[in-house]
Amino acid sequence: MYDQAQRRNHFFIRCWVTFVLLLIYLPITCSALASLSKSRYFMFPVRQYSFEWWEKTLASMEIKTLLGNSLAIATLVTLIAVVLAFFGALAFARYDWKGRKLYQKLLLLPIFFPQAVLGLALLLWLNALGLMPSWKTAVFAHLVWIVPVVTLVIAIKVYSYDATLEDAAADLGANRWQIFREVTLPLLWPGIWSGALFAFLLSWGNFPLSLYTAGADSTVPKWLYSKMVAGYTPMVPALGTMSTLGAIVVLALVGLLVLSLRRLRQAN
Amino acid sequence: MSNAMLNTPEKILPPVLQLVDVHRQFDDFTAVSGITLDIREGEFLTIVGPSGSGKTTMLKMLAGMDAPSSGNITLRGELINHLPARQRPTALVFQSLALFPHKSVGENIEFPLKVRKMPAAQRKERALELLRMLRLPEHYYSKNVMQCSGGERQRVALARAFAYDPDVLLFDEPLSALDYKLKKVLEKELKDLHRSTGKTFIYITHSLEEAMVMSDRIAVMRGGRIVQVGTPETIYAKPADDFVAEFFGEVNKFAVSFSHAGGWYSAETGQIFQFELPEHLASATQALVVVRPEYMHLVEPGQHYDNQLTGTVFNEYSLGSRIQFQVRCGSCSVLVEVPRTWAGQLRAGATVSIGFNIADALVAGA
Amino acid sequence: MPLSPLKLSAGVRCASPVLLFLLLGFAAPLLMVVGYAFAEPKSFEVFSSFSLSNFSAALDPAGTLWMSFAWSISLALLATVLLALIAYPIAYALSHLFGKWSSLVSILFVFPLFISENVRLYGWVQFLVKGGVLDGLLKMLGMEGTPALLYSPEITLLGMVYVYLPFMLFPMTLGLSMVPRDLIAAAADLGASRLMIWREVELPLAMPGILIGLLLTFVLSVGTVAEAKILGGQSVITVVHDIEIAFTYAQNWPLGAALALILVLIIGSLTLWALSKIDLDRMLGGR
Repeated sequence: MYDQAQRRNHFFIRCWVTFVLLLIYLPITCSALASLSKSRYFMFPVRQYSFEWWEKTLASMEIKTLLGNSLAIATLVTLIAVVLAFFGALAFARYDWKGRKLYQKLLLLPIFFPQAVLGLALLLWLNALGLMPSWKTAVFAHLVWIVPVVTLVIAIKVYSYDATLEDAAADLGANRWQIFREVTLPLLWPGIWSGALFAFLLSWGNFPLSLYTAGADSTVPKWLYSKMVAGYTPMVPALGTMSTLGAIVVLALVGLLVLSLRRLRQAN
Repeated sequence: MSNAMLNTPEKILPPVLQLVDVHRQFDDFTAVSGITLDIREGEFLTIVGPSGSGKTTMLKMLAGMDAPSSGNITLRGELINHLPARQRPTALVFQSLALFPHKSVGENIEFPLKVRKMPAAQRKERALELLRMLRLPEHYYSKNVMQCSGGERQRVALARAFAYDPDVLLFDEPLSALDYKLKKVLEKELKDLHRSTGKTFIYITHSLEEAMVMSDRIAVMRGGRIVQVGTPETIYAKPADDFVAEFFGEVNKFAVSFSHAGGWYSAETGQIFQFELPEHLASATQALVVVRPEYMHLVEPGQHYDNQLTGTVFNEYSLGSRIQFQVRCGSCSVLVEVPRTWAGQLRAGATVSIGFNIADALVAGA
Repeated sequence: MPLSPLKLSAGVRCASPVLLFLLLGFAAPLLMVVGYAFAEPKSFEVFSSFSLSNFSAALDPAGTLWMSFAWSISLALLATVLLALIAYPIAYALSHLFGKWSSLVSILFVFPLFISENVRLYGWVQFLVKGGVLDGLLKMLGMEGTPALLYSPEITLLGMVYVYLPFMLFPMTLGLSMVPRDLIAAAADLGASRLMIWREVELPLAMPGILIGLLLTFVLSVGTVAEAKILGGQSVITVVHDIEIAFTYAQNWPLGAALALILVLIIGSLTLWALSKIDLDRMLGGR
């Protein structure tokens, strides 16, 4: 089926993909190396490897506060985003209603928008409302961008959702609440999980919005940036790498959970 | 020649569902209009028609998933136009079966019982009973429904529909996606189920075979209206018009015009046909003569038919239980069918004499 | 299902929370920006004063602010074009070549989005800086060491290409996956060359996705600032950087708002134009 030319092209394409992937993870690896260097200033090749800066990072009170802030924001963002986005996704993909096409386009606008400008605009708005920026306003800011993204993620799953199952349930005697509990929610649950994952990770790593709307409260990305600009220590790449590893762990755990649930169901 | 609605001479049971002048209008088109139909308790009624004839709309209105724009639907005398689906004693078997993919066979079957708050132990008992009734092995109870074969899923969908003992079962083309053998098996099983449970079955299909095999009565729909209602035999032998005739099988159609020299002249075949016009076409000067291939006979020596034509055989088809010949008469091609056991021989190019009796034909308006 | 005419449809009810939220969180802030853009320069008299001097200052050919627009737009265009070329083969591979591995490979490409972009960009600094990884590697191989690559517009562009790759890649992949495989086989069977198939069949059918990728990449790059700050040093000042300066050091909120408004108008009109050409139901839902 494939001819020579096609196979050669496919080989080059695969090489290209590998090359790009390597380039993508190159700076991340460099960061990891920088965090393992004993000296305060980064020199390559590294003269002495050590986990010293990692220990300092883990012990630092300042960093603990940061982590707490970032975690609080991300958790709250996830919970609120998932609820708003779930219904938003149903409106996006499941129900046919009059303003739907317009709604779909309006929903996408915050995504096609520079986050720094959004952050500043929100600052103006908060100022007008007389609200002090803090980690709570950062939650609000994150949501403005993240809710549309999560809505899209869930909407993609909703598209392949078979709405006649709800009709069948109604025909068999179920009321609205029973239909929601027995049919809609269980079938859309995987989409909700993906959405929650996106919400959490996107909020965790967000910088531009946090910069302008978190006020005095610092998050991990904010701290990293301020130290990059002035007062660099290897705690920066250490925390950065730890943050990366944390994201990997979260993804891996969720992935394993999904796989094992699937295997459980098949075995039944 | 025939009326739109024929009553059969068997005992007539009171109607369980009645539609009176039901219309369903959507923004830009009318799906269904002027439907008046009595559905009798315990009968197997099939609604047939081509796509777009309004059958599914009808079914949805009976099930409660849609409401008529005008007209009345009554259940045992009570008006149910706007009664929601979950409150009707009807069960709808969807074309896609609509089985819950995240639930097991048992959970699917028990669903209507669960929403009616039946205790778990009782539910399980009933589910197992239904598995037996639908001839599924009991251990399927905990099997995931998506791992069952097509035919098995059909049975699960049926079991689920029967679970809460509805009065009326509605079927939306349930067998259309199955292969021929499975279809035949399930057709017989559905018929047996109908007989053993005594429920009213309302069945929609575009396949005339299914309709003929399973139904007590058939309603033929076209363009949103009911064209004819009757038993399978009546509809087949005495179709109301050429559309119904053609829908239920291949036909020969001859366009004829009144000839002053006597009889009716068919330009295509160059023959004159003799017949009496039916009452409702009394003043017509043009008509259609519709003859089924099995009523078009090869004239054997000593036989005589009301109308006879001469032609040349040019094709032969073996249709399993019968043989079909294509005979060229004039400029048209006439289909003649004989049973497989016919002892004769016909070669391509042979001249034959074919004929039919008017009693076996339908004369319809042109 | 039979509708009772008094209740709002289910779609409207589900959409209201999100719409209300976006009204408060997106539309209102933008309104504030508009208000400040027309306010008296260097003041905080939003909605109580009216002046167009912010705009004249922004577009003043004698000033430097228009240069930031030029830099941002040019870099964004270059980044978009480069990324279109870089990402297309990858998108092709993800939708046609990798089969069941494509989910895994997609995760590898998406994962960097979950790491703060500052961390990723600083990693490049550590690669390219004097004394950094590249410098050390070259010296190890006996060469002179890396030239002064950092703090230039070219490196800023590299940073932008690096950061916005996923935003070009995933819509493109989505677009390419909309091309039914048997159409390509049919075209080949009818005698079309590979190039013709690509031009006549694949490209037009994948266009919605490609368009979204181009749009998203351009829009996000034109509004970016981290790459210029971290990798570009002082060599490139982007529009958003100027906006930030106006809001922070210069304490000239109206000017910042005017700059932001111009930027938003450019982005907004492009976005609405491109989105109007696309059927989102078909793209995202395949129906």
